[in-house]
Amino acid sequence: MVSQPPIEELRIGVFVCDCGLNIAGAVDCGAVTEYAETLPDVACAVRNKYTCADPGQNEIKDAIHKHRLNRVVVASCTPRQHEPTFRQCVREADLNPYLMEMANIREHCSWVHPNDREAATDKAMDLVASAVARARFLQPQEELTVPVSKRALVIGGGVAGIEAAIELADAGHKVTLVEKEASIGGIMAQLDKTYPTMDCSI
Amino acid sequence: MGPKAIDAGRHPNIELLTYSEVEEVSGYVGNFVATIRKKARYVDHTLCNACEECVKVCPVSKPDEYQMGLSSRRAIYIPFPQAVPCSYILNMDDCLGNNPIACGKCADVCEKKAINYDDEDELVVREVGAVIVAIGLDVYDPTEMDEYGYTRHANVITSMEFERLICAGGPTAGHFVRPSDHERPKRIGFIQCVGSRNPKIGRPYCSNICCMNTIKDTLLLADHYPDTENFVFYQDIRAFGKSFEDMFQRSKETGTRYIRGLPGDVEEDPETGNLVVTVENTTQRGGNGRSGLERYELDMLVLSVGVIPPKDLAKISGMLTLSKTSDGFFMESHPKLKPVDAPTRGVFFAGFCESPKDIKDSVCQAGAASSRAGALLNAGQIQIEAITSRIDEIECKKCGLCAKICPYGAITWQKGEVATVIEAACAGCGSCGATCQFGAITMRHFTDDQLLAQVRAILARKPEDKVFVFACNWCSYAGGDMAGISRIKYSASNRVVRTMCSARVSEDMVLEAFRCGAPVVLVSGCHYADCHYINANRQTVVRVQRLWDKLEKAGVRPERLQLEWISAAEGQKFAKVMNQMEELRKTVTIKEIEHGREALKPKPKKAAKKKEAAATAG
Amino acid sequence: MATATTGNFRCMMCGHDYTDKVEKGEDRERSCPKCRSNSIRHMKKKAADK
Repeated sequence: MVSQPPIEELRIGVFVCDCGLNIAGAVDCGAVTEYAETLPDVACAVRNKYTCADPGQNEIKDAIHKHRLNRVVVASCTPRQHEPTFRQCVREADLNPYLMEMANIREHCSWVHPNDREAATDKAMDLVASAVARARFLQPQEELTVPVSKRALVIGGGVAGIEAAIELADAGHKVTLVEKEASIGGIMAQLDKTYPTMDCSI
Repeated sequence: MGPKAIDAGRHPNIELLTYSEVEEVSGYVGNFVATIRKKARYVDHTLCNACEECVKVCPVSKPDEYQMGLSSRRAIYIPFPQAVPCSYILNMDDCLGNNPIACGKCADVCEKKAINYDDEDELVVREVGAVIVAIGLDVYDPTEMDEYGYTRHANVITSMEFERLICAGGPTAGHFVRPSDHERPKRIGFIQCVGSRNPKIGRPYCSNICCMNTIKDTLLLADHYPDTENFVFYQDIRAFGKSFEDMFQRSKETGTRYIRGLPGDVEEDPETGNLVVTVENTTQRGGNGRSGLERYELDMLVLSVGVIPPKDLAKISGMLTLSKTSDGFFMESHPKLKPVDAPTRGVFFAGFCESPKDIKDSVCQAGAASSRAGALLNAGQIQIEAITSRIDEIECKKCGLCAKICPYGAITWQKGEVATVIEAACAGCGSCGATCQFGAITMRHFTDDQLLAQVRAILARKPEDKVFVFACNWCSYAGGDMAGISRIKYSASNRVVRTMCSARVSEDMVLEAFRCGAPVVLVSGCHYADCHYINANRQTVVRVQRLWDKLEKAGVRPERLQLEWISAAEGQKFAKVMNQMEELRKTVTIKEIEHGREALKPKPKKAAKKKEAAATAG
Repeated sequence: MATATTGNFRCMMCGHDYTDKVEKGEDRERSCPKCRSNSIRHMKKKAADK
């Protein structure tokens, strides 16, 4: 049994990014956009030059209002890079950030299949279809806010650890600096002079 | 660095725990809990006034680690004169024992009664919002490169030993002598790239600091002993930093000879202890019929040793779920744009452990890391991504399986009771969601409905041409990103669906992919050591094993389901695996696919059957 | 004491069959000694083998 999406009217907007030639150079973004329009519950599909740039983000925000979108799919780069960007973007258009989904048609597609436009385009279509299918089931989510413990742990008391601890401590933070040897100083303490100025290490 | 170390030692905001090791870190960004073992020092540093009486009576003599074993220390000692804290330590492994008959001399002479043989390790627990990892480096041990004779020839030393021999605070008080006869060497050679840029010994990377360190050494020698002749054997001199080129030119001006070529062989003259080095000078090759093969007789040879990842790296990596790049150092969140962030939120890198770098760069990175950590601490609160697990009280059959497999202990359950999730402790791996047989667990934002919809959408068209891939957010999906960033080409037949952890992938999701006509399904995740959810991906293995059995039972070739561990750094492996999967896909016939579709159809459950029967009867 | 037994494994990528130590409570990543694949199936001993 295939479950049905939970709400009455779904209106999904799909935004396909050229990323200059990063994506459009290997993927037929026009064809992907046209294909997106045919997918269930897609209310609009838009092709952008750079979706993450201000004009691209504005297009998303405008479309959310104009087409009364309640789900957004961005087909661009890896969510590991720009998910926060686009979550913030839809939030600014009064959409819950968890109603935005990404399709990675750059790192996982155009960049690795540069010489087979047909196969890369077909793959991009599937990745968009996958994101749209997922978007149909997305639900708004509220993030839990938790307090941050007011102390930092620095592991290692060489020159880097010492410096990091002092910087944090000078900024008013409590720091626990842990060194496994009996003294801090690390390898640097064993050097005589250090380049490029020939002064003593200690 | 002395003033900085002293500052760190007495800063009111710094709690300095030396001779201590982090044993465990649990929790998550903003709310880590670190357990630290303060090892017994056997000397109370609050009482010790560093009078040195104990050292005078200690009968033990051990190689002094600080002096690279070139002199000795007692069992009770201060690591070096400028140590912070400046307090004695008694090494119990070296001590003759706390039995007064065996020794006990140091305690006898200590007027402050600072020595306590019964001292014990202490565990301290600290709640911290951010962690900076600055665990440094280890120095390469050239023993395995026997061609240079480090263990056989007395006058072959490492660059670290050189540091101690030329240092006024060293074992010879800065009088530079060679080990065999304590004479001052006049002809000194340096061999570069010992343990660096050498794929044969598994160290293909450049250690960054050794060229400049050698240049510095030649300038020191020229300054202290103008009559020495220095010879540097190198493959490339990398003097790229601010004022580095100037130092290199000055070194050449002092008469130091730079010979491009790494010696193939070092022989010792047994009479004199001198070393004969044979090297092919590659700048001389071919001209006027000269072979370029040159011989140098030297009084001393310094091996400019490279640096390697610290041996504690794996331990710290496991505690904080960090990853390594192919050179063995820690992997950062983004090589250019997030160079000091670890992939684990709230963890930052400073110094060598992230990649080989010099003191200046280490200090810069430490500043950056503290700034990143400070921003987090200043914020005072933090949002946790809404991807946690939720249990439906009505659907829950109170079996407790979810509580058993949760890597975080975030699910509480007692026999006969509904399981509950502690949301702040849940990291959202989804292992419980995939394990629950009753559909009682929903992973917010990675629901069964969402993932199954992706499976069906991807396989709606021409499924027989596709390799279906489940990839985890942190490693294998990121490995795919790495392949992308590195522009490594591979077969385009794969279709990837991302989950937070491979343990989120339920049996039903894999079976659904086969039912939808996927010829090959790949489940991929982090290597065991890299799992971002402690050890959740062990559940992936359990599930895949069970699926192989199920497939076989249903007459479906189990090889059509594959399992791979791919780290975020393994773009090459990701590409290779995708090509392998495509080769495997080609072996799967349409007939097989069709058979699988039918054979794996879910069988109506007994209870449902009964219900049905009852309904028809009624 | 001796908690190690041997188990039969099959690489689901290259088909290589091999035996390897199995320690009680072990926690180790397996890969095929021949082709390095991680698709290592722990084969159950058939009744006839016992």
